[in-house]
Amino acid sequence: MSIFRSSVLVICILAIGGSLSLVLPEYHLRLLNLAVISAVSVVGLNIAFGYTGLISLGHAAFVGLGAYVLAILTTRSGVSPWLAMPAAIAVAVVFAMVIGLPLLRLKGHYLALATLGLNVSFVIITSNWLDLTGGTNGISRIPPFEVLSYPLTSERGFLWLALLSLAIVVLLASFLHHSRYGRALIAVRDDELASEMTGLDTPRLKLLAFTLSAACAALAGCLFACHVRFISPEDFSYTNSITYLAMLIVGGESSIGGAILGAVLLTFLPEWLRFLGNAYLALFGILVFVVLVFLPSGIMGLRSFFRLPSRAPVAKPAEAKS
Amino acid sequence: MADFFQLAINGFAIGGVYALAAMGFVIVYETTGVVNFAAGQFVMFGTFAGVAALVNAHLPWPIAYGVALLAMAAFGIAFFALVYRPLRASPAVTVIIGTVAVSIIMQNAALLTFGSWPVRLASPIEGMTVELGGAVISVHALMTVGMTALLVACLWVLLHRTSFGIGMRAVAQDVQAAKLMGLKVNRLLAMSWVLGALLAGAAGLLLGPMWFADVNMGDPVALKAFAATIIGGFGSLPGAVLGGIFVGLSEVLGASYISSAYKDLISFGIMIGFLFVRPQGLFGEKIQDRG
Repeated sequence: MSIFRSSVLVICILAIGGSLSLVLPEYHLRLLNLAVISAVSVVGLNIAFGYTGLISLGHAAFVGLGAYVLAILTTRSGVSPWLAMPAAIAVAVVFAMVIGLPLLRLKGHYLALATLGLNVSFVIITSNWLDLTGGTNGISRIPPFEVLSYPLTSERGFLWLALLSLAIVVLLASFLHHSRYGRALIAVRDDELASEMTGLDTPRLKLLAFTLSAACAALAGCLFACHVRFISPEDFSYTNSITYLAMLIVGGESSIGGAILGAVLLTFLPEWLRFLGNAYLALFGILVFVVLVFLPSGIMGLRSFFRLPSRAPVAKPAEAKS
Repeated sequence: MADFFQLAINGFAIGGVYALAAMGFVIVYETTGVVNFAAGQFVMFGTFAGVAALVNAHLPWPIAYGVALLAMAAFGIAFFALVYRPLRASPAVTVIIGTVAVSIIMQNAALLTFGSWPVRLASPIEGMTVELGGAVISVHALMTVGMTALLVACLWVLLHRTSFGIGMRAVAQDVQAAKLMGLKVNRLLAMSWVLGALLAGAAGLLLGPMWFADVNMGDPVALKAFAATIIGGFGSLPGAVLGGIFVGLSEVLGASYISSAYKDLISFGIMIGFLFVRPQGLFGEKIQDRG
């Protein structure tokens, strides 16, 4: 049943995205591309934060790690982006495992502060390691993906690739969600002590969630690098991590649909509110705050208003966490 | 040697500012349990309260500083009513992200009010220097160190020798029991936000003449205050003071003796090291209690 629902979600993504790709003007296609790339990253963050409850304020560092590995491999060694992408994801996965081992022993605000420090350190290093990263000038002329020696430089062509990547990530995430690992991750979020008592290996589960979320982030980073074809440290500062978290919360945490909805909404919102000028970010903050206070389960939480109670009142264990 | 002495005084001065910011953060955390990610913007508001009173309204400086601190106290009450009250029953994660959202609101409210152009907030003792053993030291740096010490002493007396402070510490230990003892818990919680805002305001007023008053100054200050809190120990006031001074010294000395580009990495490196090895910091709370 639930696998069926996520396949419907994937078909919706491909159908809606595909038909939009035929009608939207170039500029909106560009925004849609950025939204889909963010969605890949936020679906990854959902595994760590939504399912497992790990507050990460350093997700953008993993996006950046993926982007930088791909950019360095393609511009320095002339590796094709298709080969650089798995390498970039592998680097992010290994890094997440190594850093996750000591990091994930921390909980709550300690973890939030440590990941924040990690993100800040990432930006300091990429801004100053001139030989490798080009410092604040960034890396330009990143080659595009090529399909049958046809480069995906047009927004439309890239969108199809991005949608396909998102579809794959969504499928994998929903398989995870409905597997015994997914249920174990949610158990760890709801009550770590109790899940340890039932014999779950909580440190390993947390590391699994953190690593998978880093892999999605690195994939998003690779897509970003090949789409914009220029990266610099500011693209991956901790404010971006906060934006990813805000996307997830506005959309609805621990829901894949919510993650995508939040990513698309918060990418397009600045455009719709462009007439506000500088006031936009203040409004953005107010929006996130209001959602937190009045809609703690995000826009996806609104569904319960529209759905008729079909079965016995559904217990919501997710609300019980404190 | 004279160089080192001069740098050390500057390190103590900036460290004092970080210590005040970290103390404001810790007081709020201890009494209300809120990890305030907007703490850096509190300091920025302090600086800009000074800018509004001194530069824009041209008030004479003793009045201007008083007005600025009064404005910060009012801001503390507003924060209690508008941010803390709606979030108080939410899980810790929600509170963290809520304060992050408020931090974005505060930064952009300041941007809309004061513009993005940095302002010079002069110190009343601008340009005065003294020579000590060949080192030229600005009086403002010395005053910052002195003010920090004075405020730490005042805070200690407030928390340990007045009924108000003892009530506040009782709330920090156990809200339920404090309520049963007949303490006005809500008022004490509001006062802890006022105290946090006042400490941040003092930090902002002292920091203004050292840096330019810039609406983006909140984030760097917040990161240093967090590092100071982690190093000193979450929820410990002596820890916040020591941590702040340590971060200030490591920043100033690291910039001149190790690398100016990587100066911030030193304090974050030490912070992350502490989190891995000794997350409770130098004097911290027992980590399993909270978090």
